[in-house]
Amino acid sequence: MPTQTATANRPKQSLTVDEKIQKMRELYADAPEIGKTALENGLPTLTQALAAPSAEQTAGRIGLRQGKVSELCVFLPFVKGGAKRLRGFLQLLEGNFRAADAVGTVHDMRFVFVDNDTKLLFATAYDGDFDEYIDDFAAKIPNAMDLWLCNCEGYPGMRSGKAKEWIFDHQIAAEAWYVNSPNLTAAETRRLEKVGKAVEELLDKIG
Amino acid sequence: MATQTATPTKPKQDSAVEQKIQELRTLFADAPEMAKTGLEHALPSLMSQAAEAQASETESAGRIGIRQGTVSELTVIAPFAPGGAKRLRAVLRLLNGNFSGGRKVGTLHNMRFVFVDNDTRFLFATAYDGQWDPYIDDFATKIPDEMDVIFSAFEGWPGIHSPKVKDWIVKHQIPAEGWYVAHPDLSVAEAGRLKHIGKAVDEFLDKLNE
Repeated sequence: MPTQTATANRPKQSLTVDEKIQKMRELYADAPEIGKTALENGLPTLTQALAAPSAEQTAGRIGLRQGKVSELCVFLPFVKGGAKRLRGFLQLLEGNFRAADAVGTVHDMRFVFVDNDTKLLFATAYDGDFDEYIDDFAAKIPNAMDLWLCNCEGYPGMRSGKAKEWIFDHQIAAEAWYVNSPNLTAAETRRLEKVGKAVEELLDKIG
Repeated sequence: MATQTATPTKPKQDSAVEQKIQELRTLFADAPEMAKTGLEHALPSLMSQAAEAQASETESAGRIGIRQGTVSELTVIAPFAPGGAKRLRAVLRLLNGNFSGGRKVGTLHNMRFVFVDNDTRFLFATAYDGQWDPYIDDFATKIPDEMDVIFSAFEGWPGIHSPKVKDWIVKHQIPAEGWYVAHPDLSVAEAGRLKHIGKAVDEFLDKLNE
């Protein structure tokens, strides 16, 4: 699929800001009127963004990363009955993904049922690189993974040694990825939450 | 669409844990063997999770979408307008991840653009603070031009200033069936505050050690 190689063949950032703006104008020459107007109105802000150094890196084998936070996005066809089973399972969990807490590098993850319940979209924000992330899931929560993913076609099982390839095959790298605090890992967040609490207690005592 | 009614029909919190486990077993009765084994292995920790379910239950993000604590999810899948995929890809590459507009909104945790089905449709997914309506209003008031530059790549985009824009988004949004946030109480603003405190504490400790 052409989209999967997007990360690899990004153009080199050798264009000047003026050249980039020129390119934007060319691109939007045949855009809907709304887009053309917005481009002209938004040029001052856009110029700042175009002048900034690249904020995007890769997450290793596949996917994008900003700072320390990466994205993973897969579309997985459901097996017969899989959508119903996974929906029931997720509803019973009521948002309590203690298993994901156990992994320790997950920021967020979503399960979305698309195309009339024929496919699962799974998208997550996580710390670090693709290979280590999947290894972590396999090592720390193989049962939970099997419970989710057995509902999808061709899933080989987390212990099969083939799960990583299977995920890779279904992953589509994002074309763009934005993270508000790119250097804030899940671990650093836990530390800062503790520091914040300690500071408040200290101030209470002093006060 | 069946999936859109998922949020209001979630079972009540007070259903007994045993009953949930029973429902799980029923759900997995015709699952592949691997799944049944996984379920039995995972049951002990699942039971303790279910018992603590009150702690971090998933709630509605308002008009559409779900929320954990302060953090909500928005997932939109919509067709590209003719030429839209090519235009948007080029724009995104020129921007190279520098979404200064995203920072301006102030409630946006992360956002991704994914091109699917051979560039015929796109997926736009974000994690944000609070309720759906104020979030969309924020985009409209703070970064209207950026929104139109990007979203005019999609079929039927009415323009961020159009009174129809919220209907367009709702029509293409699919609420998640499951949503996990590692730090559900950490808003973008709170993350900023904590980073600030962390830095101040580090400097303070450095001074003590001088």
